[in-house]
Amino acid sequence: MPDSLASASKVCAAPADGRHPTVEISATVNGRQVVRLVPNHYRLIDFVREELKLTGNKEGCGAGECGTCSMFLDGKLVKSCLTPVQKVDGGTVETVDDLDRDQGMTALQRAFHKCGASQCGYCIPGMVMAATSTLRRNPQAGSEEIKEGLGGNICRCTGYQKIIDAVELARDVMNGSLPESALEEDASESFIGARTRRLDAPAKVTGAIKYAADMWMPNMLHMQVLRSPHPHARIKRLDVSRAKALRGVEAVVTCDDVPGKDNYGVFIEDQPTLARGVVRYVGEAVAAVAAETVDIARAALNLIEVEYEPLPGLFDPEEAMKPQAIQLHEHAPGNICKHTKIRKGDFEAGLKEADVVVEETYQTAPIEHAYLEPEAGLAYVEPDGCVTVHSPSQNITHHRHMLAHILGRPINKVRMIMSTVGGGFGGKEDMIYQGILALAAIKSRRPVRYVFTREESFAASAKRHPFKIRYTMGLKRDGRIVATRMVMVSDGGAYAMSTPGVMNKSAILGPGPYAIPNVWVDAIGVYTNNTPSGAMRAFGAFQSEFSTEAHLDLCAQRLGMDPVALRMVNLMRDGATTHTRQKLDRVLAVDCLEAVLGSAGWDAGVPHRQAQGLPERQDLGRPGTRPTSIPGVAQERYVQHDQTH
Amino acid sequence: MLTFDHYFMPRTLEAAFDALEQVPGARLVAGATDLLPWAREGRAGDVHLPAMVDVSRIPELCEISVSEQRMRLGAATPIAAYERDARLRRMAPVLGPCAAWFADDQIREQATIGGNIVNASPAGDSQPALLVLNARVHLARREGGQIQRRDMPLSDFIQGPGKTALHEREILTALEIDSIEGWGSAFEKVGHRRSLAISTVCMATAVKLDWARRNIESCRVAIGAVGPVPVRLGEIEAMLVGQAPSPRLVREAAQTAADQVRSRSRQDYRREVLVNFVERALVSALSRAGLEVSRLPKEMAHA
Amino acid sequence: MRHKGRGVACGWYGIARTAAMDRAAVWVELDDGGTVKVATGVTEIGEGVLTGLCQIAADAMGVHPHDIVLADNDTARVPEAAHAGATRMTYMIGNAVAIACREAFGKFRAAMGAYWEVAPESIHAAAGKVWVEGSASKRMSMEHAVHVLKKERGIVIVGSGLFTSAHTALDPETGAATPWQSYVFGAQIAEVEVDDDTGEVQVLGVWAAHDVGRVVNPQQVEGQIEGGVVMGVGHTLMEDYIQVDGKTTTPGFAKYILPTAVDIPQVTSVLITEPDPKTPLGVKGIGEPSITPTAAAIVNAIYDAVGVRMTRLPATPERVMAALREKRATPQPLRRAA
Repeated sequence: MPDSLASASKVCAAPADGRHPTVEISATVNGRQVVRLVPNHYRLIDFVREELKLTGNKEGCGAGECGTCSMFLDGKLVKSCLTPVQKVDGGTVETVDDLDRDQGMTALQRAFHKCGASQCGYCIPGMVMAATSTLRRNPQAGSEEIKEGLGGNICRCTGYQKIIDAVELARDVMNGSLPESALEEDASESFIGARTRRLDAPAKVTGAIKYAADMWMPNMLHMQVLRSPHPHARIKRLDVSRAKALRGVEAVVTCDDVPGKDNYGVFIEDQPTLARGVVRYVGEAVAAVAAETVDIARAALNLIEVEYEPLPGLFDPEEAMKPQAIQLHEHAPGNICKHTKIRKGDFEAGLKEADVVVEETYQTAPIEHAYLEPEAGLAYVEPDGCVTVHSPSQNITHHRHMLAHILGRPINKVRMIMSTVGGGFGGKEDMIYQGILALAAIKSRRPVRYVFTREESFAASAKRHPFKIRYTMGLKRDGRIVATRMVMVSDGGAYAMSTPGVMNKSAILGPGPYAIPNVWVDAIGVYTNNTPSGAMRAFGAFQSEFSTEAHLDLCAQRLGMDPVALRMVNLMRDGATTHTRQKLDRVLAVDCLEAVLGSAGWDAGVPHRQAQGLPERQDLGRPGTRPTSIPGVAQERYVQHDQTH
Repeated sequence: MLTFDHYFMPRTLEAAFDALEQVPGARLVAGATDLLPWAREGRAGDVHLPAMVDVSRIPELCEISVSEQRMRLGAATPIAAYERDARLRRMAPVLGPCAAWFADDQIREQATIGGNIVNASPAGDSQPALLVLNARVHLARREGGQIQRRDMPLSDFIQGPGKTALHEREILTALEIDSIEGWGSAFEKVGHRRSLAISTVCMATAVKLDWARRNIESCRVAIGAVGPVPVRLGEIEAMLVGQAPSPRLVREAAQTAADQVRSRSRQDYRREVLVNFVERALVSALSRAGLEVSRLPKEMAHA
Repeated sequence: MRHKGRGVACGWYGIARTAAMDRAAVWVELDDGGTVKVATGVTEIGEGVLTGLCQIAADAMGVHPHDIVLADNDTARVPEAAHAGATRMTYMIGNAVAIACREAFGKFRAAMGAYWEVAPESIHAAAGKVWVEGSASKRMSMEHAVHVLKKERGIVIVGSGLFTSAHTALDPETGAATPWQSYVFGAQIAEVEVDDDTGEVQVLGVWAAHDVGRVVNPQQVEGQIEGGVVMGVGHTLMEDYIQVDGKTTTPGFAKYILPTAVDIPQVTSVLITEPDPKTPLGVKGIGEPSITPTAAAIVNAIYDAVGVRMTRLPATPERVMAALREKRATPQPLRRAA
């Protein structure tokens, strides 16, 4: 029941004790009447997840941008993270958790299962709801209208194709153009090579599977983390006493609570569990609170007093390498985190042999993993003293090592359990919060859960390394590459994390699958006060190979050559020697190129040939491409309906 | 995070004013689709309000009424109505494509036409379309126990980024728009992707042809996201009215739009896109009005 | 006006841990009901390895994928298989599962051979049934076989397996090394449409050919290619995490732009499936190889369409328009093809 005027008070600030007014909400949820008293600031997503424990519905962003919270309110599909709970009072809610009680899965959910539409599964409940809504509105919706209907739901794993296939399959089964049997598993002689339906898909399409933020333990506390607002500053004073004194706060942890060796890392041990005397990036963890509710923990953060003395910050790797730049880490002169070198043959000599030398600079941006599941975790101490952290970690082996190191415990008294991961892409490989969680569980002697907001995930978690690549390639007139030099500088951010590995991989693979006699590569990862750069899908090779393949087309243009022909001249064959002087046996590079040219029906010739007065290419717009997307497919349909009725 | 002491859901305008008067600093809300994302880290941060006054259940704010020349839309009408309401589709066809570009299915159900206007974001998509429809806003406030109503053109109501002519404790109750039944119209927008995108440039246009005289009888052009407020391009409209449509006419009219870009950033881009959009939209609108006019080739723009 | 164009790019990727020894270990038990327990560091992050491993185990143990129970990935409960990354899951853990299952199945064959008094090599199992080659009478369900061995012979069938991929560290001066045993080659073609009114680039189609080795589950490989390509589209055209003086101006999804269902190309996957000769299963991987050629294929396609080279990612509409503007302002000499 929304408020009546009788209870209006004159308070104008958020409750300093974290205890908010409550509101009674009466609603029908998945066919059941519920009456609950909840904090008045709850949104429908909080009501459904935290109060009713219907955790099939996710909060991927809290700002209406990702769609994972989509559900039906009074028959309309809404983003429940944007719905104040007061709007739910007296209403009817339909969530993914109970979409078809009788059969276990709707035809649409079965279609998702059949088509392989569910990968990490985190976006899937929201997708199922959006697809359900689209087909309810138009049971004959075509693929363009389906795409539009899903336009408010982000998926980071699947590339959407199989999700759209699933909705089309469901549509066809539901309108009778395909039989029910189309939803069943294809028969198969052998399991290797079979399109076996994913075994975890039923749990994912129904929202039954639990991710870390969906888990509760009895007596559990909630953790929140105070993060640095400064990119580089000394911590002059940190006083947590007022936070500790707040009723409902069970523990406050700082770097002083680290019992073992602080400073950990997969390659370089330069990362403190919580900031120790200095903060090096905006979002770095400074202190953490474990309390009875998230609201109390958040209120307690406001009571922590920190006095910072800002220091000059470094935000550009080339500036950070200059001699006068402030040193960010004692162990890294010139702020160089890692410099990988590849030296094969003699680049300068090779360049002299070239008929044509082509130079260009390429740049890539820092990239956010954007897995739909924000980081989360649950930590507790077992009766035998084993500290356990249950989180979506991509490397529990490494994380356990690092945790044992920080906690100063024997490694078999530290336990890492990997929860179902709602997307990783390398972003859950570098450890950024599990240590803090473990400390809170030890100090409070209760289970502790921590769930990141999306903004916290953006600010605190590692990014894909941005690269600036200065490319020099020398070629003969017939297209043979005689010398390649790549000088690559990358912003590694405040802590090493996976930077050394990324520099290695970017360098080893950078010059591409080509037989080049003289290769010079520098991959230089530099410390700055930006968000740390870390592991991300293709780990440096995305950036370096992008520059090589873009550069080859530029070289082809300078030589007046077909870029496919240029590649054919240089691609490695069986028995080739790589840039790190490894001799390969079988090399299928040419096979792949020929296969893709054949599949796409490629029309050979130079690019942009119309500018050279040559006939236009003939291979455009064929099967394998989609039409131009123009918003308003559903709208067009309404208009056409008007015109014919 | 958005927190508050009270959340009122009045069922009448009087009850809404009671709430606004009793709790100083109370904030009006309808769909909450702008407010909730705003009160988050990286934007406003944690925001605490004394009260929220949710006007979305007041019947007067939810009604749509239609007469021959004008339509009146309650301020709490969801944006989805622009697509779904058959009367709007017939009488204000420029709103449909505008809605199609607006956020996504879910948010269109929740966001209200009034909320979008009162928010007065320079990137607001619906404003250019509404300006083309000669929209007027209807406002109500209570003074000395009496409800006072006033109305004004939308162009007067929006005064700057996030700024409107709304008085303290005044409520936007309805929007009134022209019917452009039989006209041809078009809406253009560009963002960084094709769904759930913030506009970098957006615009709307509507034309009415005089077939007897073979010229443009009426023309309306409005732009958004390229300056602090959305504006009607009266100069272009004057250039076009009474003229026979031709590729050269449309090109010349479009080129005058470049001077209208008043954004603080990305000016070169916005200027160029706006000119292209005006030309493209006029051609689309003419086509929908029944007259095909082609576009001059690009290169001629720089001849 | 909208202009279409196509671009091509090649790529390669070394799989499993870089320049360091990689390893994965597995335990297997043939369990009651003819089911199978497999314990390893299974790290399902959405790529489908959970199902893939069940397919591999089912194939080797003569049961169905749904008969396999995979233990949770827990440092206190399963042997080490290390991390979910580096395109190592199917390659390292898949091979280790195959090795462990083959060992277990070998023991099963020996035990059943003794039970039926036939040579172990004549015993076969598939889809939950076990039989002796050429015999009409010597056949039973796997469920019954397990029961018989346990009850009558006191035998519990267990096995273990280890797969190692031997890699060497980089020489600090020359980089010389054997960083990986296996490489995945690839090539992609992108077809784009550039709108010169707005600078928007839509990727209409991508064809992706990758040398993935033996395929365990083609639907999952396609899923990885489709996902990798679309992530590549995002990186190339719209994604940019921006910081100003260390503070981000892209704190969430309103400013950090990801591709939606409306922005994606149609993706055609071409799987080159020559088995990797160095491993028991012949499998390789696809998670990361799928994203390496995409950006350049798109950027090369943009050049084909409108004659501008985008050297800085992301190639947002603003940057594309700026490049077109610069091109119009610069006199372009006509080039003849060689």
